[in-house]
Amino acid sequence: MPKVKVNDRTVEVPPGTSAMDAIFHAGYDVPLFCAERHLSPTGSCRMCLVRAGAPRKGPDGEWITDESGEVKIFWFPKLMASCTLAVSEGMVIDTLSDEVRHAQSGMVELTLANHPLDCPTCDKGGACDLQDRAYEYGLDAKFYTGPAGEPVYTRYAFTKRHVDKHHPLSEFIVLDRERCIHCKRCVRYFEEIPGDQVLDFIERAVHTFIGTADDGLPSNFSGNITDICPVGALLDRVARFRGRNWEFEQTPSVSTDDASGQFIWIDARSGRIERIRARENPELNDIWISDAARFGHEWADQDRITTPMVRKGGSLEPATWEEALAAMRQGLEGVERGRVGIVLPGDATVEEGLAAAELSKQLESGFLDFEGRTAVPASNFPAASFASVLEADYLLVVGDPTEELPIAHVWIHKRLRGVPMPPRFNHGTPIADLAIREHTPPDPRLLGAFAPHPTRVMAWAEARGVFEPGHASAFFAAFEAVLAGREPTEVAGVEPEAIRRAADRWRAAEKRVLFLGAEVLMDPEAAKLAEKIAKSQGAGVFAMTPAANARGLEAMGVWPTGDREGPRVAFIAAEAPPQKLLEMTEFRVFHAARMSDVVRRRADVVLPAKTPYEKRGTLLNAESRLVGLEPAHVDAGEAEGLTQALGLFADALGVQAPVRFVHQARKRFQERYRIDLDKLEPYGTLWRPRVSLTPRPVAPAEGNLYLRPSMWKARHRLGAVVQRALGALELAAHPETALAEGLDEGATLEVETPLGTLGARLVFDPELPKGWFFLPAGTPAARLPFRALVPQGGETS
Amino acid sequence: MGFFDDKQEWLAEVFAQYPEDRRRSALMPLLRRVQQDEGYVDFERMKEIAELVGTTATEVAGVMSFYSYYQGLPTGKYHIQVCRTLSCKLAGADELWHTLTERLGILPGEVTPDGRFSLQAVECLGSCHTGPVIQVGDEPYVERVTKARLEALLEGLMQDKPLDEVRKTLPDEDKMGKATIELDGEGGAS
Repeated sequence: MPKVKVNDRTVEVPPGTSAMDAIFHAGYDVPLFCAERHLSPTGSCRMCLVRAGAPRKGPDGEWITDESGEVKIFWFPKLMASCTLAVSEGMVIDTLSDEVRHAQSGMVELTLANHPLDCPTCDKGGACDLQDRAYEYGLDAKFYTGPAGEPVYTRYAFTKRHVDKHHPLSEFIVLDRERCIHCKRCVRYFEEIPGDQVLDFIERAVHTFIGTADDGLPSNFSGNITDICPVGALLDRVARFRGRNWEFEQTPSVSTDDASGQFIWIDARSGRIERIRARENPELNDIWISDAARFGHEWADQDRITTPMVRKGGSLEPATWEEALAAMRQGLEGVERGRVGIVLPGDATVEEGLAAAELSKQLESGFLDFEGRTAVPASNFPAASFASVLEADYLLVVGDPTEELPIAHVWIHKRLRGVPMPPRFNHGTPIADLAIREHTPPDPRLLGAFAPHPTRVMAWAEARGVFEPGHASAFFAAFEAVLAGREPTEVAGVEPEAIRRAADRWRAAEKRVLFLGAEVLMDPEAAKLAEKIAKSQGAGVFAMTPAANARGLEAMGVWPTGDREGPRVAFIAAEAPPQKLLEMTEFRVFHAARMSDVVRRRADVVLPAKTPYEKRGTLLNAESRLVGLEPAHVDAGEAEGLTQALGLFADALGVQAPVRFVHQARKRFQERYRIDLDKLEPYGTLWRPRVSLTPRPVAPAEGNLYLRPSMWKARHRLGAVVQRALGALELAAHPETALAEGLDEGATLEVETPLGTLGARLVFDPELPKGWFFLPAGTPAARLPFRALVPQGGETS
Repeated sequence: MGFFDDKQEWLAEVFAQYPEDRRRSALMPLLRRVQQDEGYVDFERMKEIAELVGTTATEVAGVMSFYSYYQGLPTGKYHIQVCRTLSCKLAGADELWHTLTERLGILPGEVTPDGRFSLQAVECLGSCHTGPVIQVGDEPYVERVTKARLEALLEGLMQDKPLDEVRKTLPDEDKMGKATIELDGEGGAS
């Protein structure tokens, strides 16, 4: 490994390391604006100038020496941008000399020449790279003094450039073109990370600005540019004007918005969540999170239930905990223990799952379920880690990762671009990783993508196809046929050639990863075939479950068993509990954080719940990695966790709950599995429990309205900004199908869904299978009869 | 109907020049074709090109706006580009620009009512020694554009004479060595 001398320290770094990382690795600092972890270094800001030199070898293969016999250092004739300079054996880097400091302060001066310096009103103030460096270099008396030795604040005598200051790039992102320093991080980000090139430099030279021609930044990952912007040019419109950086109480936690368990920072102020930011986890989400995780937190402050409530004379009234307990006692009196149903939310923690499973066992009740459960347990499939995606030779996707497990989309794109797992330095992830290159097109040969509707990843796939909803098993049967050396059996809508090619590549690959969407997990027959293919070929599987903690809850035994009579009473912590359960029960205790229609209409007693942002607990994500939630500083009134609420519910039943507190659950967990949930690894602990559960259908699939997966869950859509950004739900159909129903493009209508009657706008998509309507709402991959209510005279052009 | 719908053969030829996974490289030839045939590239065409080469309209807009050759708005029959970089500026490009906008009554982005002229200020055309310089369409430069030469040029173009012919009718003021001086200051040449 090359030895590099940085000022007075010598370090050894892997070949191909940038000078910048060698400098940080040695414990020195160099200013930078454009380099960023996980992005290609481009050297566009010229901030990281250093003096560098290297020895040379003579024709004899020996190092050339100077007169005194020392190895001679040939200095580069000019200062070099350290982010794009690769180290070589014996390189010498100088970051401290006057020459270097002068050049760097000159760069700060140039960058500031047209910067508005509106830091007092800028949301980035206090967390701004440019501000920090301006403090560091701005008034260096050595370089900037007037004739009398007085400090010079600026040498720029002209009016600053005035351009668009509050330009909304989308409903989520606002751009201040005066603050922009043209580092190009956001432009590179969109191309290299999600692969949606929706932002670019427009015009050139002094007129250059960041702009888009694709309305509203169509990407599921647009928010990350607000994190990486080194100045306050790109700001998050949910968080904008909500506080200064130093006022936030920052809590490192985990997002429960999908099954990936992305690491987040929760920034709260005065008891309210003001902002969500990405938290680095190089094994899971790098420094990126999905837009749903970032912008979809507003529901946590809306219509909060802060005290217990009891139904009195037809309406729910606030009550004390004692009154709530008394009301529960009354309602549960004489109920047979085995006829108590418990439904957890899909993002209930492992601890809560354990508490519920223990209680259910004690009650000898088989009605234990969770929201977003799939027919086939995710635990049936051998888990794969995200890092293994980068090593895979073939990726087969049956589903829509961009919507179902957004961060998987990023890892798939990284794999197709050939980005290796970065090394770790003393300062962590390389800041300027020369192994990442700009404009690397994704390699389509590595990916096969199939789904019941067109997906984003299909654009990168060599083998792709859209099959009809419910035909996933036919697809896997055809796939298996090719693996067995036969001709592919017919799958409506998919070209046999695509299946043949995917299966051939799959067979030829050494390391394979399979992504399964809800469409497969909801279909026991398809899942069985997929499981067989994965297991016989030793492939890792991502089961992209709608529930954030499906693997964790399954591992704890939260799964319906037995064929008993229906429950008579229920403890419901789910947001949208199954209609059937609501109808068959006589008494219902809701554990809810937020007042909703179903709570208002159906609850007999309501216990105030904590949102996932306020919990301490653990999730087992789609990789089967334990990741820990930490409670943010949020004012939640008298809200209690699920474990405590269940304990109270058990009291009302006259039963002593085996687990009443999170720490008890953790103790039991440690006894059982020898893992201390208080001390997880910083990036989460991989844990592959053995779970055996019997598949159990969720609901009969009838009808031609297909609920396609969406990153945006019902609760995200409650936020005002998200609502404005997403607009009406899009009901998509093949033009022929829609016209046959008398519906024209752009028609507004109301559709009956499990979430109630939702307003939607009809869009045509000729690539969709005929005969179906697709709506991104509710439980993914569920099918129900299409009932469109009175078109409200929308614009039927 | 798309612009390229009836040009499939031409498209195939262009795409054949690049490796299959680098279809994006065909962005420039496609833009050029639209610019040549239609005089400008409107948003619909940008989207069409984006789809053909497998990128987004944003990237097409980014590339397009980088080059002053591509126009985003309709241009006249004679699109006049005026160099406004340093050498030409010193030689009187500002006054030339002023005269032109006054004379034609248009600003960049506009077309004269007769559809003949449109205007654009561009960066260095690379003929600093013969400034001020203008370029009409794709034709060779018109150099040392004094007010008299400009008048003669516009006169000729109004009559839709070919530029080569018009060029011959321009007063030859080169030898006087006064081109820069005449346009200097208000009012320009008398």
